[in-house]
Amino acid sequence: MAEVKSAEFKKASGKALRDEKLQHSLEHVMEHFVGARANVIEDDFGDESWEAMRTRAAGIKQSTLEHLDYYLDMVDKSVRRNGGHVYFADDAAQANAIVLDIAKRNGVKTVIKSKSMVSEEMGINHVLEGEGIEPVETDLGEYIIQLAGETPFHIIAPAMHKTRQEVSTLFQEWLKTAPTQDIKRLCVYARDALREKFAVADMGISGANFVVAETGTVCLVTNEGNGRMTTSAPRIHVVLAGMEKIVPAIEDLALFLRLLPRSATGQRITSYNTFASGPRAPSDEDGPEEFHLILVDNGRLNLLRDEVMREALRCIRCGACLNHCPVYRKIGGHAYGWVYSGPIGAIVTPPMTNMKVARDLPYASTLCGTCKDVCPVKIDIPRLLLHLRYKVAEGAIGERSTTWMERLFVGQWHGAMRSRRALEGKANLGRLLTRPFARGGKVRKLPFTPMVSGWTASRDFPAPAPRSFARLWREELAHDNGTELR
Amino acid sequence: MSPTPEEHPNKTAFLLRVRSALGRTEPIVHMPDHPSLKSNAMRQQEKVRTIVARNEARRSSTLDRLARTAAAASWNVRRAGDAEEAAGIIAEIAQQSGVKSLVRSAEDVFKRVNIDTPLRSVGVSPAILASGRSRTRGALRDMAFRADMGVTGVSYAIAETASCAVTPRRGVARLASLAPPRLVLLIEPEQVLETLDDFFAITRLNRMQARGRTANYFNFISGPSRTADIEQTLTIGVHGPGEVHMVILG
Repeated sequence: MAEVKSAEFKKASGKALRDEKLQHSLEHVMEHFVGARANVIEDDFGDESWEAMRTRAAGIKQSTLEHLDYYLDMVDKSVRRNGGHVYFADDAAQANAIVLDIAKRNGVKTVIKSKSMVSEEMGINHVLEGEGIEPVETDLGEYIIQLAGETPFHIIAPAMHKTRQEVSTLFQEWLKTAPTQDIKRLCVYARDALREKFAVADMGISGANFVVAETGTVCLVTNEGNGRMTTSAPRIHVVLAGMEKIVPAIEDLALFLRLLPRSATGQRITSYNTFASGPRAPSDEDGPEEFHLILVDNGRLNLLRDEVMREALRCIRCGACLNHCPVYRKIGGHAYGWVYSGPIGAIVTPPMTNMKVARDLPYASTLCGTCKDVCPVKIDIPRLLLHLRYKVAEGAIGERSTTWMERLFVGQWHGAMRSRRALEGKANLGRLLTRPFARGGKVRKLPFTPMVSGWTASRDFPAPAPRSFARLWREELAHDNGTELR
Repeated sequence: MSPTPEEHPNKTAFLLRVRSALGRTEPIVHMPDHPSLKSNAMRQQEKVRTIVARNEARRSSTLDRLARTAAAASWNVRRAGDAEEAAGIIAEIAQQSGVKSLVRSAEDVFKRVNIDTPLRSVGVSPAILASGRSRTRGALRDMAFRADMGVTGVSYAIAETASCAVTPRRGVARLASLAPPRLVLLIEPEQVLETLDDFFAITRLNRMQARGRTANYFNFISGPSRTADIEQTLTIGVHGPGEVHMVILG
């Protein structure tokens, strides 16, 4: 499995924040995605509003999850009826072993891949390379980061942090092409290099955006055409799919194909949608002779088991929550330390990998709630973040995660909130203690108090007003009534 | 047909774990309540009959809608009054783009619309991308990769999204509409549907009626191949055709 580096979260986000070039491209790209989405969700969808579509999609995915054993069985039977092979892999190691076995049995030397996040979880490229098999990413962004030896920066824009100069340098090094600033030229270089791979590859590995249970159809959503190439040119097609990718019926795709591209890139539909249900029929002109679908758990059971977290498996990987998240938009994707980043990464990484290593991720949010508002399947991400924070605080990582100062503070807070008099008393005390440190309406740094000064190290606290609301209220009432209130 | 592949040995244990994670001990016997799974073949047939009737009644406005959405999605749209005009338009596109080698599929539509003659008259001799003359897999692939333009028909065209459903089969190679840098799709009026819902309802019925005998593969082509992976700058024509033409009969 791909290494989990989420323990480095704080250090890595600091590094991203200091990277001026990165800050610039994040701002630029995120603005673009947000604007494009806003533009197309206002379309006329006939009888159904955008909001109603989100509700229906959430319902379909949730119901599929509640009956997942039933639908997994249905997928298995449908695909095998179509002549395809189906495998059930508990974890990354099992999934890798299955792919490797198919490759070795067929003497595969070159594998072409279209984008698959599950394959990132598995770290399949390293495994194949270790066995002398060459894996080639064919999505342009994935190809760039493969050459650079990095992980995807964003679910749908994996190389968005790379400038054209950096891409040109990479291509010079790996493809021996001439340096250029022309993006069109760079695309042609990649196209030509990848054409050679398409021509010789014996195996194509793709992900799956949707797996239709009733018909055993795998649906791929792409723009470049590499998904079609991967599923058409080689003799063997292997699909890697998270076990939550299922929708019950092919008619459900009409709904999901309206929601996904609009939420992701702000497109009404992507240039290509590929629907593969098995190997080529004997009468077909071309296409793969073998079709293998590998359904992968790899930590998803931990989400399914927890009734609160279960809805995270509704995710269709559009990336809208990343694009709209004030935290992701500052720190980018690599800081999260694993395959998934942004709000969805913060909720799936700890349960899928290791709560202790990824303990900081549920805190990487302001809880502003925009992720929930833009999610096409209405995942209540803030609620799930709070649920994980609760679990961390309650000792889910096998140790107390709070300091004695925190517990003292929460104890005091608890006391204060129980009585109006106590609250006012404590608030007055706080006012007296903090006012001397206020500059220009803000408290920028508080000395002496370990926990509070830690808090103000990275945030400004608004300076307390000279007189509290309660006091103003009393004075106002007294003024109106002309009497002194007790 | 080859025999059905065997069940994976890990399936039973895997499903048991899923079931127990969901807090159940027994498997689900009855199909869960889901609107799109409810209708059996007969009811689906009824549903499709209504869809077909509606699409027939609104054909001319749907054709207009398709032309509009396609233009907005970067298709070059041309409309032809009859087969002869359509063939002429295709020859004209090939000539204007300076096409030298052209591949086409062996679909029935090219019996109704003879594109070979007008193409030859502008100096392009179309090759049929099919394995007929004992061409190997590699030879077919090379032929598709070398061509300047591919011309094929469609199974359906969906006005809502300007998507052309292309189903490969005997005589219709997958690579014909994918490998060459230019693509022309020829659409006949009765192939045009209003919405994605219409298309998938028909697809479901087809699969129900011809279990195991329908194509295992189809594609939507909804515009030129594109990427924005470098600096979010839109670039067309990556792995698939960058220049796409839709010729609509009617």
